[in-house]
Amino acid sequence: MEIWRVNLRSGSLQRQAMPEAWARLGGRGLLARIMLDEVPPECEPLGPRNKLIFSPGLLVGHMLSSCDRISIGGKSPLTRGIKEANAGGTTGLQMAWMGIRALILEDEIPAEGLRTDWWVLHVSLAGARIEPAGDDLIGLGVTASAARLRERYGDQVAISLIGPGGEMRLSAAGIQNLDKDHVPSRIAARGGLGAVMGAKGLKAVVFDAAGGARPPIADPQAFKEAQKRFSRNVADHPQSGLYRDYGTAAMTLMTNALGGLPTRAFSSGRFEGAEAISGEHMREVMLERGGESAPTHACMAGCTIRCSNNYGGQDGKSLVTPLEYETIGLMGSNLGIADLDVIARMNREVNDLGLDTIDMGAALGVAVEAGLMAFGDGERALELLGEIRRGTPLGRVLGHGAAMAGRVLGVIRVPVVKGQAMSAYEPRAIKGTGVTYATSPQGADHTAGNTVRAKVDHLDPGIQAALSRTAQINMAGYDTLGACIFAGFGFGVAPEVVPGLLNARYGWKVGPDILQVLGRETLSLEREFNRRAGFTAADDRLPEWMTQERLPPMNGVFDVAEADLDGVFDW
Amino acid sequence: MHLHTSLRRRTPGGIVRQLAAELPDGATLGGLLGVLDIKPKGLLLVVNGRTAEPSLVLEEGDEVHLIPALSGG
Repeated sequence: MEIWRVNLRSGSLQRQAMPEAWARLGGRGLLARIMLDEVPPECEPLGPRNKLIFSPGLLVGHMLSSCDRISIGGKSPLTRGIKEANAGGTTGLQMAWMGIRALILEDEIPAEGLRTDWWVLHVSLAGARIEPAGDDLIGLGVTASAARLRERYGDQVAISLIGPGGEMRLSAAGIQNLDKDHVPSRIAARGGLGAVMGAKGLKAVVFDAAGGARPPIADPQAFKEAQKRFSRNVADHPQSGLYRDYGTAAMTLMTNALGGLPTRAFSSGRFEGAEAISGEHMREVMLERGGESAPTHACMAGCTIRCSNNYGGQDGKSLVTPLEYETIGLMGSNLGIADLDVIARMNREVNDLGLDTIDMGAALGVAVEAGLMAFGDGERALELLGEIRRGTPLGRVLGHGAAMAGRVLGVIRVPVVKGQAMSAYEPRAIKGTGVTYATSPQGADHTAGNTVRAKVDHLDPGIQAALSRTAQINMAGYDTLGACIFAGFGFGVAPEVVPGLLNARYGWKVGPDILQVLGRETLSLEREFNRRAGFTAADDRLPEWMTQERLPPMNGVFDVAEADLDGVFDW
Repeated sequence: MHLHTSLRRRTPGGIVRQLAAELPDGATLGGLLGVLDIKPKGLLLVVNGRTAEPSLVLEEGDEVHLIPALSGG
């Protein structure tokens, strides 16, 4: 595997063998290593000293179920700390087939004044070239942009692209990737990496693996055996069937039961309309409507869990793919909206703008607090999203996410940590996830270590730091492998599978705790980058109001001791 | 009680996801599962908003959620 560097100012490509110090990392862990080694922690995230890095995880390239994810990273304009956001789809696979462990985009394509031109970076085994995106792509939504890029580059390529949000350098802008059916639905959403890409002058990166091959395997027989065991574990795990049938939306009634479903701008943990936005109801709707509706869908070629879906409207045509729990929580119950069709329309619009639905849902909740819309008014919410499309000052304020919206609109009840919005787990009811929100170097992010699955008293403050620590270490490990959180169904029941796969793939001799070794290393590197960027323990806290304002119906506040928060990474 | 996702029941009247149960005094959550022929393995049991063990003694009016556990979204 190689490191490919493109200097965007000169257009030059440099290919280099994996440096020894980076050789045992991929995905999130490698991003952290590169960031610490090469990016000045104090740099301006939208300036030329920041880098935008794409890296498939260590197990990517073999179509192992749920293990072909792409990690994208850089310094975040939202958190102003280190950022890794990962996504399914085909980007990771195509990079691995070209033998690229990391693509490092340096500097920026020069522009005079405010940028009005955008470019496409085309990466293939022939090299890298920068081409004009063309006037027809500028300002165009993600869906239409992806369609035109496919016309230009064909259906065999992977594409990472931004929408109008990234072009406007909005801090909630993500980078979308094509799923296995060429739909630009797999977004590396969090932390504003789309704004970094836009600031560098790139509308899209096209990965064309023509002539490439699956990465070499040191011990094919051992790999085959480990893969077989892993696949069987995934298939046999009871959660695989649940996610296949109900998608992540099955979480709605689970968090609602725990009093942890963000409702009406994080003012309640239980939503009277939860049934109407539940995974159970969504499945019935999709089965009844038929047409393009599909309650199960795989976002990556080898995935056997298939937790994704295609939510169709009453006319049978697709409204959005996929409709996921986090969006339902932040744009549904959080806004008092109990209508999946309305949520799907908002989801579609935010996807097309190329923005993060979590931060946008939280920003709209702030807009309600500021009197700009009423709870339950989906049409008004769509109007506000229209402001973003038009690039009005109000639209841009919202498009920068909940933290900026709160600051500009004078609202202090803002559910963010390190400037990034919380996902759909109320930290006053599911306090372990609250510890993760507070302490993760990534800012508030459930995928950094969700504890909702644990059979514990989620309200007991004394046990949460240890739970979060374990979850954060494991998740940082999975993100370094390129594994989806749900691949954990295959790893968790048989921990020997991870070292088995790695040793067979690379000829290594790693031990049974390699997942945790990778996780701890990744977190340490990320925390060191943030420390050098100026972060302190004061940044590892939930917003003050969440420690004071009781959350009905369980009436908890976030009361995990600060000493516990400060000790999460003492291992 | 609320039957989540795969625990729903198909009846001639349609899919049922909520049931009420009459139990003798001192009945436990585990006892309720036994009546329903549901095994606790892999379930998150939530009573009145808090996670619970099968040994929990139920009381009149308790709201019970039987949830095939999920890892998040």
